[in-house]
Amino acid sequence: MIHLQNIEKVYRTSTIETLALNNINLNIRKGEFVSIMGPSGCGKSTLLNVMGLLDEPSKGTVEIDGQAVTQYRDKELAQLRNQKIGFIFQSFHLINDLSVLDNVEIPLLYRSANGRPRQEYAKDALMKVGLSNRMKHFPKQLSGGQKQRVAIARAIVGNPDIILADEPTGNLDSAMGNEIMNILQQLNNDGATIVMVTHDEQMAKRTHRLVRLFDGTQVL
Amino acid sequence: MMLQHLFKLIWNKKKTHMLLIVEIWASFMVLFGLATLIVVNVGNYREPLGFSYERVWAIGLNTNQDTTELADKVQRIVQRLNTYPEVESVSRMSSNFPFSANQMNNGIEYNKRHVLADHYVTDENFAKTLEMPVVAGKWYRHTDSVGKYWPIVINQKAKEGLFGDENALGKVVGERLKVVGVVDNFKAKGEFMSNKPAYFELVNAKDSWNNTMLIRVKPGTDAVFEAKVVKDIATMVKGWSVEVDYQTDSRKNQHNLVLVPVIIASIISGFLLINVSLGLFGVLNLSIAKRRGEIGLRRAIGATGSGIASQFIGEIWVLATLAMLIGLLFAAQFPILNVFDLQAGVYITAILIAIAVIYGIVTLCALFPSRQAALIQPAVALHEE
Repeated sequence: MIHLQNIEKVYRTSTIETLALNNINLNIRKGEFVSIMGPSGCGKSTLLNVMGLLDEPSKGTVEIDGQAVTQYRDKELAQLRNQKIGFIFQSFHLINDLSVLDNVEIPLLYRSANGRPRQEYAKDALMKVGLSNRMKHFPKQLSGGQKQRVAIARAIVGNPDIILADEPTGNLDSAMGNEIMNILQQLNNDGATIVMVTHDEQMAKRTHRLVRLFDGTQVL
Repeated sequence: MMLQHLFKLIWNKKKTHMLLIVEIWASFMVLFGLATLIVVNVGNYREPLGFSYERVWAIGLNTNQDTTELADKVQRIVQRLNTYPEVESVSRMSSNFPFSANQMNNGIEYNKRHVLADHYVTDENFAKTLEMPVVAGKWYRHTDSVGKYWPIVINQKAKEGLFGDENALGKVVGERLKVVGVVDNFKAKGEFMSNKPAYFELVNAKDSWNNTMLIRVKPGTDAVFEAKVVKDIATMVKGWSVEVDYQTDSRKNQHNLVLVPVIIASIISGFLLINVSLGLFGVLNLSIAKRRGEIGLRRAIGATGSGIASQFIGEIWVLATLAMLIGLLFAAQFPILNVFDLQAGVYITAILIAIAVIYGIVTLCALFPSRQAALIQPAVALHEE
């Protein structure tokens, strides 16, 4: 599903050069649930960004579903992200001025989906995360766990093959974290390929495979 | 779809955007006012003046303390002026000569149709002196004053007001004014004057007033001749004062009376719009800085860089549209209530100009910030919060 080959990511400023990822080779199969762990600053999020086509590697190739994306232009990358990938972030990234339902609808706007079906898909996604009774609420009226569930609904509304979750339980207490993890596992059981960055060993243990990074290098 | 989304986004933040909306609304109203002023004046300017003013001088005579044989003296002056080889034509008229500050108007009526018209008293050489084409009938002569009717010539506007499509010639206006001719336009205050109804009445040779002489001089006639004329008249009529106005200069003065307020209004409006633009630019820059997370998220879920730029331009367009819809409620009252007796088309044109300028300004203000937004790296923006 996701194939990374010889990935290297270097951040350059006028004075220093930082090697964030060094020779990463990773193959994530369809339907896998993979967690990425490592100390802060080891390149976990950078790796997730490279997988999610949000950041270009300095070297190496990225293949999504068999397509090499290195030469893709902005429009093609955006289209691929929209159709193949769902993102979940630690800080939710909900738009506070839009209702829960409107937030969940956003990925479909970039597919030019019509109003009525768009709403129906968003309602279905909210139902899957158990938030169908909060559709008209605004993010500020929700708890952290509920916000993350909205973010998951937004990630799955377009029915993507891949879900990339960057510390999805990082801002939640353990009960809420477990709830979110249960939802992710359910999505994985339904066929989604999930890659999750986490600091939590317990959460990582619930995934199929663990990838460990240290100083930008894959150690496991 | 995206438009609906933007409307929702703006509507849900309406309190935050209220000041911005008021600012754009106020700019729209100012632009509407200025555009109305400009449209009216441009519209007037495009209407022909109706006469020729080059090489025409207005000689104003003031009798001062003199009260004897005034009519005869005026007649002698007319005759004297006619004898100069430098003079092509002389006409005697009332003090409201072209481009002067004086104005006379009268209500005239025909078959219960009432028209308020500018009133000029002139002699038979007026049309010739000002090279005014007569479009129907003829310019009056002294012989037309025989009988109980007094000849008048009306302009096209007065003809439309009094007679509509009917033939005006031979019709009697009021009790004693008989129409003998129709001229096209007569915009005595210059090109920026609206083309108003006007009528010209034959001067009575026995009048001791209506002492302005219009003379058309030959090309090349200069101030030396002006001095000679003033001196000659002063010799003929002791104690009278003589003042010569070149019609070209008087026309410039009349134009300035119109243009100066328009220029001042334009400068003030320009400053206001520059302030509004800078304000908008600052607010948009700040808004983009505050919404980096949202920009990152949108990029992550499918927006292209140009899509982000379009979104920010779209948002300001939505805001401008809301502000202008409120502005339209006010602006629409002007044609509906006929506030300044202007044609609805003037207001509609002014509204369209104001709308175009506002959209232009907000687009310009949003262009740079939205381009900056498009350049934001999603991976960086998403990890800033």
